[in-house]
Amino acid sequence: MRHFTLPVSPKTVHWGYFSKSVTPALTLKSGDRATIETLTHHANDDYERMVKDDPGAEAVFRWTKEEKTISRRGAGSIEPPFTFGAGEGLGVHLMTGPVAIEGAEPGDILEVRVLDIRPRPSCSACYAGRCFGSNASANWGFHYHDLIEEPKPREVITIYELDTSGEPIAKPVYNYVWTPQTDPDGITHPTIDYPGVRVDHNLVQHRENIMPGVRIPARLHFGTMGLAPSEAEFVSTIPPNYTGGNIDDWRIGKGVRMYYPVAVEGAFFSVGDPHAAQGDSELSGTAIETSLTGDFEFILHKKDDLEGTILEGLDHPLMENDNQWAVYGFTFPNYLQTLGLEGQSTVAQHSSLDLAMRDAFRKLRRFLMTTRHFSEDEAVSLMSVAADFGVTQVVDANWGVHGTIRKDLFS
Amino acid sequence: MPVSRFQSESYSNDQRDLAWREFLDAIGLLEVWSPEILPASLGNYRSGLAHGKMPDLMLARLSATGRELSPIARRGVAPLIVLPLDEAIEIVRGDEGIVVRGRELGLVPTDPGWHIRFGRNSRTVCLTLPEALLLGRRSTNTGLAAPRVFPNESIVSIFAAAIEATAAEMERLHGADWAAVAQQLTDLFFCLPRKAGSDVAQRLAFSGLLGRVAQTIESHLGDNDLNAKTVAQMEGISERYMQRLFKRNGETFSQYLRERRLQRARALLSSPGEPDFSVANVAYDCGFGDAANFNRLFKQRFGQPPGAFRASITEARRESAGGVENRGWPISALGRFQPRATLARPARRLLPAKPSNSTAQPGQTHHLNVGPDTVHWGYFSRSLAPVLSVRPGDHVIVETLTQHATDARELMIKGDPAAEEVFFWDGERKGVDRRGAGPQDASVFGRGAGEGFGVHICTGPIHVEGAEPGDVVEVHIDDMTPRPSRAPGYEGRVFGSTVSAWWGYHYSDLLTAPNPRETVTIYEVHQDDDGSGHAEMLYSYRWKPQTDPFGVTHATYDYPGIPVKSGSVEFEPPPDPPLRVPLRPHFGVIAVAPREANLIDSVPPAYFGGNIDNWRLGKGTSVYLPVSVRGALLSIGDPHAAQGDGELSGTAIECSMTGRVTIRLHKRGTPIADITYPLIETADAWVLTGFSHPDYLAEFGSKGQSEVYAKSSLDLAMRDAFRKARRFLMARFGLTEDQAIAHISAAVDFGVTQVVDGNLGVHAIIPKSLVPGCKE
Repeated sequence: MRHFTLPVSPKTVHWGYFSKSVTPALTLKSGDRATIETLTHHANDDYERMVKDDPGAEAVFRWTKEEKTISRRGAGSIEPPFTFGAGEGLGVHLMTGPVAIEGAEPGDILEVRVLDIRPRPSCSACYAGRCFGSNASANWGFHYHDLIEEPKPREVITIYELDTSGEPIAKPVYNYVWTPQTDPDGITHPTIDYPGVRVDHNLVQHRENIMPGVRIPARLHFGTMGLAPSEAEFVSTIPPNYTGGNIDDWRIGKGVRMYYPVAVEGAFFSVGDPHAAQGDSELSGTAIETSLTGDFEFILHKKDDLEGTILEGLDHPLMENDNQWAVYGFTFPNYLQTLGLEGQSTVAQHSSLDLAMRDAFRKLRRFLMTTRHFSEDEAVSLMSVAADFGVTQVVDANWGVHGTIRKDLFS
Repeated sequence: MPVSRFQSESYSNDQRDLAWREFLDAIGLLEVWSPEILPASLGNYRSGLAHGKMPDLMLARLSATGRELSPIARRGVAPLIVLPLDEAIEIVRGDEGIVVRGRELGLVPTDPGWHIRFGRNSRTVCLTLPEALLLGRRSTNTGLAAPRVFPNESIVSIFAAAIEATAAEMERLHGADWAAVAQQLTDLFFCLPRKAGSDVAQRLAFSGLLGRVAQTIESHLGDNDLNAKTVAQMEGISERYMQRLFKRNGETFSQYLRERRLQRARALLSSPGEPDFSVANVAYDCGFGDAANFNRLFKQRFGQPPGAFRASITEARRESAGGVENRGWPISALGRFQPRATLARPARRLLPAKPSNSTAQPGQTHHLNVGPDTVHWGYFSRSLAPVLSVRPGDHVIVETLTQHATDARELMIKGDPAAEEVFFWDGERKGVDRRGAGPQDASVFGRGAGEGFGVHICTGPIHVEGAEPGDVVEVHIDDMTPRPSRAPGYEGRVFGSTVSAWWGYHYSDLLTAPNPRETVTIYEVHQDDDGSGHAEMLYSYRWKPQTDPFGVTHATYDYPGIPVKSGSVEFEPPPDPPLRVPLRPHFGVIAVAPREANLIDSVPPAYFGGNIDNWRLGKGTSVYLPVSVRGALLSIGDPHAAQGDGELSGTAIECSMTGRVTIRLHKRGTPIADITYPLIETADAWVLTGFSHPDYLAEFGSKGQSEVYAKSSLDLAMRDAFRKARRFLMARFGLTEDQAIAHISAAVDFGVTQVVDGNLGVHAIIPKSLVPGCKE
């Protein structure tokens, strides 16, 4: 077993898209381990706390009139003129990778084990060693058109501090209402419509001492993790899909084993969108977005070896931890296939939990019938009495419902 | 431009009115009158969804009770277009007024003084077209001085359909769509007839008076001796003047009265609700003195005697129904939905809560056993006599039976005298006849008394002393124990049943043949040494048509408590190795009586609790329920040994249980009493129950018990759960909206409660650790 390290740098991250054609940042063999750093794309909501003096973060976020180290952010157009910026923010997550796996081919399954997760401490002099995160109640949130207080609508950033001294928790520090921000290229962003725009704190009003006493239980996890799809060169990171991606399930944390269907040669695994805490539904549009570093182990399961294992017939992401398995249902199990490449922007018009529930039901039924050899009647009965369906997220365009089933049923 | 919305579940009770007025103001409407205090027993449900503001395109879908709204006075020619979707509304000014019946189209002048008046639970679409598009085009329908009403026919019907469709799609329309819609609607508007419909024109010509007379006649149609004189007296006008009013309409008072009576009779005969309500009864109900005369008049008017007319309608219906499974009331049968349905439960003695013992300390323990007299099956009702009266703080040891015990009678009923009595059913009699909120005579589908519109055996109701509408009753589950079998050879063992039923989520989506099918699985429930327990599959069988002792054949599991004939089904062995399902004992149903007068189907949960089907509602947990009627009238049933979030197949492991509960009362004004929905409190979390339609009975009015099955969606349930969670965090902990939303995103888990109870459920779990020291 070999152990590699993949720090963040302009060379090791790609922003807002999955791609089968980006040069791999690292190439591994099945069984290898890697420590991988990730950055939250919301770090610039509070530059002082989350970017300043952190060499990796400074390099990745650098954007002046003269230089934008990572120009493309999203799977959208890279030909000016831009509405929002290069890549058009069609996909927002800062992804570390891709990690190529030697010998991986379409039809195989890549298992990714998350061995450990650690927060990334601030490097700035005033906050050194402390850890912060940002929650945006954003325009893509479930609440946005259903607000009851003025002004309507509005976007709000809440900055949290992570406290890992005891039982890890997050505490709110302050919040502010988003005001139009003009980026170094002169484009004004009236709403949060492009990732990595540094918020000018002279233009926003801090509301301090909010929610004293509130403690959010921390659930460190990676919101976006997955493989490059085969359908296009550049695919938005926002809608989750059959190769994983922005699943946004807080269960994808330490101790988890994720299984993804390989769609392209080399698998091309990327990880990003680190979260300190999130509830099932990710209602406001984001979690507590916090830069994290993880230890991973990669195991390649070749397609000929899947029969008789829990991976037999798997064509969607599957989660396993010590206690349960989870399948992920989406409004469209493969939205690129159903809606074509435009689906990256149009899938948001079709969002539906009802369809996601239907998909989760079908996936869990298939899982139980294929891998446990239950009859359909047994599988349905079992799902009614022992499987739990929850709302994964209602903010990632391709909405999610997960179906979990406990392992102790079968012991 | 985005849509704006008002939904009463978003606001704590004291903020609703203000928020509602702000919502109306933003679209150019003004509330000119509202009931000073709407009795809690009437409910306070309101909702609205709107786009735009007058004098631009404004479209709003409103649902409200007992209010008057008016366009904010302005200059302009565009009328306010109103389209009531089911219940009638009125357009009034002072004493003048005109009724707009369901699906008619009304035009309200912009002149100040004209109001629209909502009745009970009116759902209405309001529309104004952009002033800019109307100017310069001539029409008799702009710049109105008096309201107009068009019957729903020809071009009006197309216009109305376009309005309704736009209202339904409001949230999915974007900028350019709206411009196109405005243009299309305007074009249709200019196609409206130059004159209002003829009968309507007359209704208008006599301003409100004739309309009032007509209403008086409608409400007294059944009075055999109703005549011109009595009506004129009731309206305080001279008989001669009233006759003149009718004459100017081209008919006499008696012609009008006869026509209305015949129409009412025709409607009754067409309704599937009461086919064995005899023709003579229909005649009598419609104010005809003798049946022979009625038969003659009916045939004269409709070309067919009443009996033959009904037979033809029934036949046509049977052909179109074609064995499709139907849950709840079919919409076509709701016409005869009886607000004062009679209860066929035997009159019961109120078991004394030792009432003589008025000095007794609270905290005494009562026993409530199951029996034909202490359960009601498949429905809730405020009219049920309580079987027990308790004081706040008292404990009740309450037995409950699962309605699925007949799935394995030999294991779950036999030898248990109380269960034997409740489930008793021979050729002569049933232990509990009515099962469901449907007609007692089974005249809709013929399944059996109550039609199985509601299936749960509920123990109660329990009268809670001092509980008033506006209070909240807390039921704390101290303990739950399964009811052991008393069947010979199985004594002391515990059994449960799961049915993968036609109302299950999977039913229309089966992979393997035969398709479709229903499957019953029998489990044995074991207590483990560590205090937990598990259930193990024993055997399963496919449902086969069962003929009940009254001779009705049930091709599907369409009526609760049908005895399964031994030998009629084939037992399948369990999978090997056997499955061990961890137990989650809980009550699926805990309800207080709904405020509505009808019998209410026990299947769809709503504001009053009911079939919540959340497995967290077990030992150590409390549920808080808003009280609608004096004494609360609490019922408990539908015991489950285990269930997953979703209850996918339609049922849990249904297993008779006995609970020990403590009943507490929280008077109006205490913080907890702000809730208007069932709230579950576990040791470490609050679980808020969101429903697709939080108050479906108010939202859909008289069609509630049918529509809720058709219109339900997880997206709506998620929306409701979000609003309730936001309101809870704001009202309870004083958070701002922004803080509440940030919290919800970071720490509140939303789960799928059930997808099989008609009114789909999503719950929000708020951990108590979020706000330390906030424990009750």
